Amino acid sequence: MELSECAVIHLERWINSMSNLEIRNLTKRFAGLVAVNNVDLSFGGDEIVGIIGPNGAGKTTLINLVSGIFYPTSGQILMDGVDITTMPAHKRTQLGVGRTFQLIHPLEDLSTIENIMIGFIFSQGFSKKVAKEKSEILCKSLDLERWNRSVSQLTILEIKKMEIAQALATNPGVLFLDEVMAGLNSDELKELIGLIKKLAKEKTIAIGIVEHVMGVIKELADRVVVLENGAILADGSFKAVMKNPDVIAAYLGGGNYA
Amino acid sequence: MTKAKRLILLGGIIIFALLIILWRPTILIYGIQRAGLYAAIALPMALVLGIVHIVNLAHGELLMIGAYLTYFVCSTFGMDPLVAMLPVSAVMFLLGMVVYKVTIKHTLKAPELNQLILTFGLAMVFGQSVNLIATSQPRTLSVDYVSTSLTFGKLTFGVYDFIFPVAALIILGGLLFFLRKTRVGKAAQAVGQNPKGAEIVGIDVDKIYLIIFSLSTALVGIMGSLYLTKQSIFPLVGGPYTMKSFALVAMAGIGNLPGVLFASLILGVAETFLLSFKGYGGWSNIVFFAFIIIVILIRSHRGKQI
Amino acid sequence: MKILTRIILPAIVVLLSITFPLFAGPYQQSIAKTIIIYMILALSWNILLKTGQISFGLAGFFGIGAYASVLLSLRLGIPPLLTIIVGGIITAILAAAMGMIILRLRAMYFAITTLALGEIFRVIIHNLPNFAGGAHGLILSSVIFDGNGYFTYWLFLAGAFFSIGLSYFFDKSKFHLALTTIRDNEITAKVRGIDIFKYLLIVFTITAGMQGLAGGLYSQSFGFVTPESSFSGDFILLPIAMALLGGIYTTAGPVVGAIVLGVISEYLKLYIPYGHLVVYGLIIVIVILFMPNGIVGMCSNTFRKVDQFNE
Repeated sequence: MELSECAVIHLERWINSMSNLEIRNLTKRFAGLVAVNNVDLSFGGDEIVGIIGPNGAGKTTLINLVSGIFYPTSGQILMDGVDITTMPAHKRTQLGVGRTFQLIHPLEDLSTIENIMIGFIFSQGFSKKVAKEKSEILCKSLDLERWNRSVSQLTILEIKKMEIAQALATNPGVLFLDEVMAGLNSDELKELIGLIKKLAKEKTIAIGIVEHVMGVIKELADRVVVLENGAILADGSFKAVMKNPDVIAAYLGGGNYA
Repeated sequence: MTKAKRLILLGGIIIFALLIILWRPTILIYGIQRAGLYAAIALPMALVLGIVHIVNLAHGELLMIGAYLTYFVCSTFGMDPLVAMLPVSAVMFLLGMVVYKVTIKHTLKAPELNQLILTFGLAMVFGQSVNLIATSQPRTLSVDYVSTSLTFGKLTFGVYDFIFPVAALIILGGLLFFLRKTRVGKAAQAVGQNPKGAEIVGIDVDKIYLIIFSLSTALVGIMGSLYLTKQSIFPLVGGPYTMKSFALVAMAGIGNLPGVLFASLILGVAETFLLSFKGYGGWSNIVFFAFIIIVILIRSHRGKQI
Repeated sequence: MKILTRIILPAIVVLLSITFPLFAGPYQQSIAKTIIIYMILALSWNILLKTGQISFGLAGFFGIGAYASVLLSLRLGIPPLLTIIVGGIITAILAAAMGMIILRLRAMYFAITTLALGEIFRVIIHNLPNFAGGAHGLILSSVIFDGNGYFTYWLFLAGAFFSIGLSYFFDKSKFHLALTTIRDNEITAKVRGIDIFKYLLIVFTITAGMQGLAGGLYSQSFGFVTPESSFSGDFILLPIAMALLGGIYTTAGPVVGAIVLGVISEYLKLYIPYGHLVVYGLIIVIVILFMPNGIVGMCSNTFRKVDQFNE
């Protein structure tokens, strides 16, 4: 790594102080269906929190509520002490709430690097020129080399990296990764896990990682939160949560993960 | 809407209607007749837009074509327009099939943009073609029974125009029966809700679109015949009806066919209300736009983005 | 290839366009002026299209600009050149006010609402006989520059360059990224920090201003406005056909489309005097079905294939 790039990263780390997300009594009803049920959750700093639960447990809905795609029926969301419960999505991003999407829709009318530049330009306010430079650096740190290609030419791992870079470009203090490991083979998994570990350390980002692949959670998460039917079932270390009989029951008598 | 709000609204409407009846009853009568016309024209759009989500900006032009076809059939064969409705509706059905197969079908998988621009182009083609063939000179068909009127004490009003609300009710009833009780109708609802899912379940999605679109065209064609009996027609007569139909369908809510009737009542009475004041009649043409704006404001206040 | 298309060709075109009146007669000049009016409208329509929203309100804002300019001349005695600019600004302000409400809509709801705009404005003007001349319209005592062909043409050309410049700005600045993202996926746009409403409002306002500017140019050079002529549907139909034919989402597209279609339409008017409007509708239908990227799109695809071949 060049000296100037080093300096930039250190400077950024200095500026990025610890962020904190507080979710209080959050509930979301969709005409009779309670998708998120009175959820209390707080995390921040450089924690990596695993968010697991059976399908339909409300994990993605929770992320949608925090990032501003939906507004909650009741409850509060605080980002660094600021009440963002009914703030428009783009403002929340500018305040440091970041996320990736389960179904990635890359912007096909833009090149890969342009996909990433957006966050730098519109969330952080950099000029196109500076955004391009920063995007290139970001790509390097994620080992994403073919950034001047069109999105349709990328492999699935590259697309995932681009998606993460796109979110990182918005300078999140809290980043939600929604099933980002889906569809990767074991080598690709290893690489991405390594990158995420590096990320969390270098950039002081709190990461909420939604996953079905338990091996990933075991490796990355300092703490695990289990959702079922929209409510929090358990919140603790990986080992403790995996031994929790309610959790095991929720996964329909699933096996031994420890 | 909660029950309490519904009752208040109903009460308000009844009071308003009573006031009008006491003050100038013709407003209510003509308002209902006008509403019938609007509703009968809007319902085919509600079918095509609300049920299978095809947006057709050439809707008003199809009305116009139906009217012109009727005119030429009647003036050539001396038929009565209400009788000519039959062959005209058949021709319109065929026209709908052709239009669907040649153009609209290809925009279904493309972004909605394309359908909007395409049907806009079609509207222009239809309007200008008729202008070319039949010139811009207005055509009228005079039929005697059109001027029948009734007198109740001091009140005299035209009675023929009630054919429009009657037509609207018949069309609504027919469509609701079609959608809820027939196989094709139910399939259409399925296609509208989830085209891919409908396909997987074995529904011939393309055929459904074809039938629904052609049906809508035929219905609008019939309304063209009816329209001809009361109004003179010219190539650009259709345009405002596209916009008003859309406003009504949007007000009622996508997929809500009976709602179109209520919306058209409000529009019809409001327009007639304005028309009854000398000098303000010209403003009646923008009532529908005011409605659109109000609907937008109410809906966005509730936090929904259309 | 790049030097040819980026520098030499545009330079030649610019030179030709400026010296045009020196070797072209009054008939050709009037065709050129008409082309320019439609070109400005086509460019403005295209810019908003980049956000993914279609506006059919071209005629509406065009007419407002036309009327504003004439009214400023008649009622306030403002010099014609200034009225065109101020007329454009007034149109932009009006659009901003309307946009605050109707930009909450998307897709067909938005499109059809804008379609109604022209009709609405026309009806309003029609019903204001004292203020705006009602059905008879208004007449100026003299046209701009007293009808001097050269000056009028150069004024129009200035308007064209301004509009092309604006469109180019929207292509090269960060607006391009914002608008393209909004068009592609609004959720992605939101979540990456783009204030969608703000950008839509800015684009809607500026493009309406362009349309009002075109209206002012038109009314000042013809010397009159009427509800039917100033809000004519032709001002929607032709620009859209031109932008589509030339190629949407690019600056070159509407320019090329306006010139090509403008020239063709003169021939059309000779051979099909009453049917030429049908042709525009047909062009729209055919382009949408068979060549959605227009002429410029097809050309750049060819060039791209050549470049890839040479790589």
